[in-house]
Amino acid sequence: MSSTSDNALKTESTRLLKDKVAKYGVTAGGIMVLCALLLIFFYLLYIVKPVFNAAEIESVTNIDELTQIYASVAVEEQNEIAFALTEKGLVDFYALTGNKAGQLILSEKIPAVSEITAFDASAPQKGLYGYINQQSELLIIKPDFRVTFPDDKRQLLPYISYPFGESTISLEADSLFTINKFSFATNEESIGLIHQHSDSKIYFTKLEGEENMFSEEIEWTANSTELTQISGNILHTLVSPDLSRAFIITTNQLYVFNTRDSSDVSLLYNVNLIANLNSNIQVTAANLLAGANSVIVGFSNGVLEQWFETNSDQGRDFVKVRQFELSGDAKGSSVQAIYPEFYRRTFLAATESGHINLFHTTSEAELWQGKLADGKIDSLAFSPRSNAVISIANNTLNISKVENEHPEVTWSGLWQEVWYEGYPEADYVWQSSSASDDFESKFSLVPISFGTLKAAMYAMLFAVPIGLSAAIYTAYFMAPNVRKFVKPTVEIMEALPTVILGFLAGLWLAPVIEDHLPGVVLLLILLPITIILTAFAWHNLPAKIKNTVPQGWDSIILLPVVVIVSYMAFSLSPLVEEWLFDGNTRLYITNELGINFDQRNSLIVGIAMGFAVIPTIFSIAEDAVFSVPKTLSNGSLALGATQWQTLVKVVLLTASPGIFSAVMMGLGRAVGETMIVLMATGNTPIMDWSIFEGMRTLSANIAVEMPESEVGSSHYRILFLAAFVLFIFTFVVNTIAEFVRQRLREKYSSL
Amino acid sequence: MISMAPDMSNKKSSIIDLSNLQEQQIALRIKSLDLYYAEKQALENITMNIPKGQVTAFIGPSGCGKSTLLRCINRMNDLVDTCKIEGQILLHNQNIYDKSVDVASLRRKVGMVFQRPNPFPKSIYENVVYGLRLQGVKDRRVLDEVVENALRNAALWNEVKDRLHDSALGLSGGQQQRLVIARAIAIEPEVLLLDEPTSALDPISTLTIEELITELKNKYTVVIVTHNMQQAARVSDQTAFMYMGQLIEHADTNTLFTTPSKKKTEDYITGRYG
Repeated sequence: MSSTSDNALKTESTRLLKDKVAKYGVTAGGIMVLCALLLIFFYLLYIVKPVFNAAEIESVTNIDELTQIYASVAVEEQNEIAFALTEKGLVDFYALTGNKAGQLILSEKIPAVSEITAFDASAPQKGLYGYINQQSELLIIKPDFRVTFPDDKRQLLPYISYPFGESTISLEADSLFTINKFSFATNEESIGLIHQHSDSKIYFTKLEGEENMFSEEIEWTANSTELTQISGNILHTLVSPDLSRAFIITTNQLYVFNTRDSSDVSLLYNVNLIANLNSNIQVTAANLLAGANSVIVGFSNGVLEQWFETNSDQGRDFVKVRQFELSGDAKGSSVQAIYPEFYRRTFLAATESGHINLFHTTSEAELWQGKLADGKIDSLAFSPRSNAVISIANNTLNISKVENEHPEVTWSGLWQEVWYEGYPEADYVWQSSSASDDFESKFSLVPISFGTLKAAMYAMLFAVPIGLSAAIYTAYFMAPNVRKFVKPTVEIMEALPTVILGFLAGLWLAPVIEDHLPGVVLLLILLPITIILTAFAWHNLPAKIKNTVPQGWDSIILLPVVVIVSYMAFSLSPLVEEWLFDGNTRLYITNELGINFDQRNSLIVGIAMGFAVIPTIFSIAEDAVFSVPKTLSNGSLALGATQWQTLVKVVLLTASPGIFSAVMMGLGRAVGETMIVLMATGNTPIMDWSIFEGMRTLSANIAVEMPESEVGSSHYRILFLAAFVLFIFTFVVNTIAEFVRQRLREKYSSL
Repeated sequence: MISMAPDMSNKKSSIIDLSNLQEQQIALRIKSLDLYYAEKQALENITMNIPKGQVTAFIGPSGCGKSTLLRCINRMNDLVDTCKIEGQILLHNQNIYDKSVDVASLRRKVGMVFQRPNPFPKSIYENVVYGLRLQGVKDRRVLDEVVENALRNAALWNEVKDRLHDSALGLSGGQQQRLVIARAIAIEPEVLLLDEPTSALDPISTLTIEELITELKNKYTVVIVTHNMQQAARVSDQTAFMYMGQLIEHADTNTLFTTPSKKKTEDYITGRYG
């Protein structure tokens, strides 16, 4: 007796233990899932957050009491050595780090043949400096650095290199007057210059070098054109790095010359910059942005304008795109100089009082404003990596650290239309990279979000009708012994790897549909019609024939119908094509209807992804319909309702929460699906609802671009942001789904 | 279980001689009905007449076929694939199993209330007008009137008149069952089948439903299946005792409960089995 009661106690305690373990196990599991989700959420945010950080400029070192008056200053890539150049040919190198920090470590005099009359610096990324002497001869130098390892320690040795030879190049100018101002740009073997002579005449000269086969010396030929038609006080001249455009900016006009053909230099645009401004406002500064597509013009009222060449309704035009305004203490004061970065569309605008404002054109953002020194800045330059800015003011050289990793990204830039360089108008564009360093990245999440929704929509258009009607038929009408096979079969489809679906869709289905487009359309029309006709015919068959088919198996007779109709549609395809579309549907659509046709288009995605989504929708909806209590449908039938009335008025209503969540689960799957859209579309980030064009989705975009994005770059972080957006998408879809489902369940839950 | 002495007083007036029914007194004629579920025979050669305007109760032990017989009357057994029926049930001298009979319109004439209350997940109002809407009645005034009448007849009107458009699922079990009855009588059937209508209800709701049934027989022929003998004694005019798929005895309730003519009946009503 006692042993049994002991046993009873024991079982009680083990049962209690099991109960506890199960309880805490389940709780721990739940909390861990939640934690994992939160972790993903916060990790994404953590990676994305720096993109929206504000820029910082912070002074690091000053080198005081410079003995020379420098015309230009720059710093090498590691921010270890700065160099400054005078107008008369002196190049001084200053160490910024190490034990010689702040000291002059090298001073070189350029061996110009005679008195130097003009000096100019090229665009910053080239790092070239030019001198012109009294004989109108040009010498181009490049301050350069050699890395050596004396005593196994890395040491930078500065030197001067001569990329176009150590001897001067004659401009073969006809003018006897000396050149007192010029600007230049170079490419591989030519140099383009705009030079102003002391008689105020201005010329464009293109120097082209050719190697002499015998002496192996480069012989230069000059081709010079006088630029007339220019009136007013010339403020700035600029040559684009590809030598195809020359810009001359006066205090009120902007002249753009086409210099592609040096023997036929012509004025392309003559823009009155102050046409719509107050009469006392003048142009005070101008410069080319990195990439040399845009000109930034600064005015005496503290406004800066970005201009570039673009296509408009009237052909090519030079247009004002956007404007910036100096803010803070500098508000309203005259823009003294504009300094572009090496590769990005960031620029600094400085005022007479030494106030500087940092802007980025694409994001239209003012990134920083403040002062590096008191008084006018004589010269300023960004470091090649844009992480420092070096300036000379009041005989003091200052180097400041710049933290400005992601100037091109702003929240509004990601979601609003942005007018990119060369585009005729503001647009949503995703184009994250190109071959060139000074490419303007176009990060608009709108086209890829649009693509996600478009792909999901076409997939749902295909999957919802099929999935739901299959589910309703299976749950409500199908004989139990047929249902027993059908349901697991459809559910197994869900386990099909999507990469296989995508592969089949892209490589097999897409060409088939392209070749048989009329057949596919025909099939889409004929199939529902014949199915309904067959059902109707079957319904009206004498009972004798009907009874030969076991109850519930009658749907099987549709199989041959589907096969026959498909075969018919595809064999009719060439005939229809011949009859309606002049024998080539694709050409007809493109040429006659003017609709773009991609082989891998939304139709393919709709079918392939719809195929992947159907099992999800089917499975959940089928369960929902099947679990509607029989008492409800019997109640309806007992009131004289037909099966169909019962289905529509009672069963579907009661199953509506489940059907709704089936559709939403399907949508969630379609939004997040990657491999199918990746493989079955061309991944072109366009915004077009056309069924014959492709799309790029958030998920496919991440899959395509993540491997090639540099860790920590804006591109990398924006891909994480895309992931975050995708996460939010699915989160919102699921939350709405759950909310609506709860409401529906409250309303329609049965007993 | 409510222990309540069968109150026979109100039935004395309506006693009908079952063996000698006039043609116009008969609502339903069941003629040698056999029913098979697959190979198993569930009903054997049932022949009986169900009198008009009376409450007929089917009693018997579990599995005796009383519910099956009830479901034959409005062809609910059609929904069971393996079910096969032989014999006839005549309503207005027409065999309801005839091929020309439309099942939906038959069920409009022969309404049914099930064991468990099964209101649709709609408002009280929509539940009651469900049958009318199926027939395409759209006139708001007609519908309003029907709702009020049906709910009054089902003794539910006073309880729900202020919340007709609330969900029917908010009602209590007894109210739901009365709503289901209201829903059934809203389409004015000739026969009302009640399949153990109170078995899922508490005693007070049971009492209300029983009172309701006594009211209903003034307008409808009522057939009720119950395995509660007291209930059969309380509410019915006629009682049919079934056992193992056979109709053992069919007599007016008073007679059957006091002087059963068959041994099996007596055994059952005295509690020997069942």
